[in-house]
Amino acid sequence: MSMNATAETGGPTVKADRFWNPYVAGFALGLVLLATFLVMGKGLGASGGANRLGVHALSAVAPAHVAANEYMASMSSAGHALDHWIVFMLVGVLLGGLVAAYTAGRFGRKVIRGPQVPVKWRLFFALFGGAIMGVAARIARGCTSGQALSGGALLSVGSFVFMFAVFGGAYALAYHLRKEWN
Amino acid sequence: MLPFMTLLSEHHEIGLVVAVVLGFGFGFTLERAGFGRADKLAAQFYLHDMTVFKVMFTAIITAMLGLMGAAGFGLVNLAEISQSAVSYTYLWPHLVGGLLLGVGFIVSGYCPGTSLVATASGNVDGLFTFVGVIAGSLVYGELQPMLASFHDSGELGHLFLYDLLGVSPQALAVGVAAAAIAMFFGAEKVEQIFTRRRTGAPAPAAPRRPRRLAFGALGAMMALALITVAIPGTTGAGEARQAGTISQADLARRVLDEPWRVRVLDLRTRAACAKQRVPGAECAPAASLDKLGLRYATGARDLVLVGERTLTRAPAAALAYPGQVKILAGGFAGWRTYALQAPALPPAGASLAAREEYKFRAGLNAAMTGRKPLPPPPASKGYTPKPRKKKGGGCS
Repeated sequence: MSMNATAETGGPTVKADRFWNPYVAGFALGLVLLATFLVMGKGLGASGGANRLGVHALSAVAPAHVAANEYMASMSSAGHALDHWIVFMLVGVLLGGLVAAYTAGRFGRKVIRGPQVPVKWRLFFALFGGAIMGVAARIARGCTSGQALSGGALLSVGSFVFMFAVFGGAYALAYHLRKEWN
Repeated sequence: MLPFMTLLSEHHEIGLVVAVVLGFGFGFTLERAGFGRADKLAAQFYLHDMTVFKVMFTAIITAMLGLMGAAGFGLVNLAEISQSAVSYTYLWPHLVGGLLLGVGFIVSGYCPGTSLVATASGNVDGLFTFVGVIAGSLVYGELQPMLASFHDSGELGHLFLYDLLGVSPQALAVGVAAAAIAMFFGAEKVEQIFTRRRTGAPAPAAPRRPRRLAFGALGAMMALALITVAIPGTTGAGEARQAGTISQADLARRVLDEPWRVRVLDLRTRAACAKQRVPGAECAPAASLDKLGLRYATGARDLVLVGERTLTRAPAAALAYPGQVKILAGGFAGWRTYALQAPALPPAGASLAAREEYKFRAGLNAAMTGRKPLPPPPASKGYTPKPRKKKGGGCS
């Protein structure tokens, strides 16, 4: 109830909005990333799993079409498109997010939006922005998780270029979208 | 060499379970940081709440100091992990993809990972964003054949900032961490200014204790990383870098598919090398390495070093090479077994992966020796070569 009220009015923060101290949360996230490096020799990722979900769904509908596209076919050539650690990591993210939100009293169906944006438009922006990120993440071979966070911690040059470009792109457009969020 | 290498290949199922566990930690911490809410994330770009910057950079420097520190003490092989965990640098795709992702971030209020956390918290906007990400990936998949030359443009291989700057990874990690902590204090000043401008009142003071604890832990990690720089004998000080390893299968693929991207040096005696070597290898006995001027090469190709057995350490002259340096696992003895002897036929009804492996090795053997390979035995009954059709369900 109180969460819905906050989401709709953008009013003062309520108890359910109390989060971990950002440095403590960042340190914990860093330890998870470090463990992923040491145990799996991989970084954290999200968009790669989303891509595989999409390719899998498409190949269920149009298998010949996927097979004809070398880029998409490479996702499923080594077996099943979903038989990959990055897809299983997504399952973990979903579970972890669910447990964290539920135990903090933040779980519940709602739409997070700025005070001036109708729900319909908010959902359109969410879908459209998501689609832009889907394209972007495939161009850059990773998203904020796989490139910026994981590659950044490895001091990869490409990841740093990517990271600064993400902040640059978002800051450049933020002023023009201020009515969406404020 | 390390447990993780077998985790993803040999113990595939265990690797998948580990991925779920690590993903759980990822999702849990993102949610507790407040990243399940679009307004909290978007606030970063209106400067009154810089949580995104603080969490992200604290995580980056924590993992970086931990990994570089462990590598400095010789506990892990930094090159091996780095090359496995991150893509090559492709300058233009990384720049353009980053700008576009930033645009999508401010429009949707999430990034791909946090949209999933938002979905898990019951946020319908998060679900829409995640569906959008899937759709966008497919759009790019459709367009990729047309954009293939752009997709691979500006390729610089595995390039890391410490190689670019010619310093040790540990020293750079400490420098980056110090700069990040200085920027955290700057970010808090910016937050105060913009919160006052927005609400007319100063931001409520956050408790100091958690920050002191986190910074204290980071300081301790920086000190440990610095020790490896200061003490001779640890990799942080002695050699600025370590050589990675390359498996026989990877080397075979690269020698056959993209020989222009590898430079193979055979360090055995000239006689042994002249008799038999990896295709395209230069015979360069260890003593003659200095004369090759590897230090002044461009580093565009990965350097692969071949000994009789696995080399325990790369010669200093090879480590001076500006590009990636890798040691062939098993050395030439291993290569001989792997590539020059006909592989054993897989048993009837072997898994798809085993059959693919056999086909590859048989093809490699045929290419190396000119022998015609035997066809693999027929698949067992009930074996379907094509992926099974999905029976409903799915992830989200």
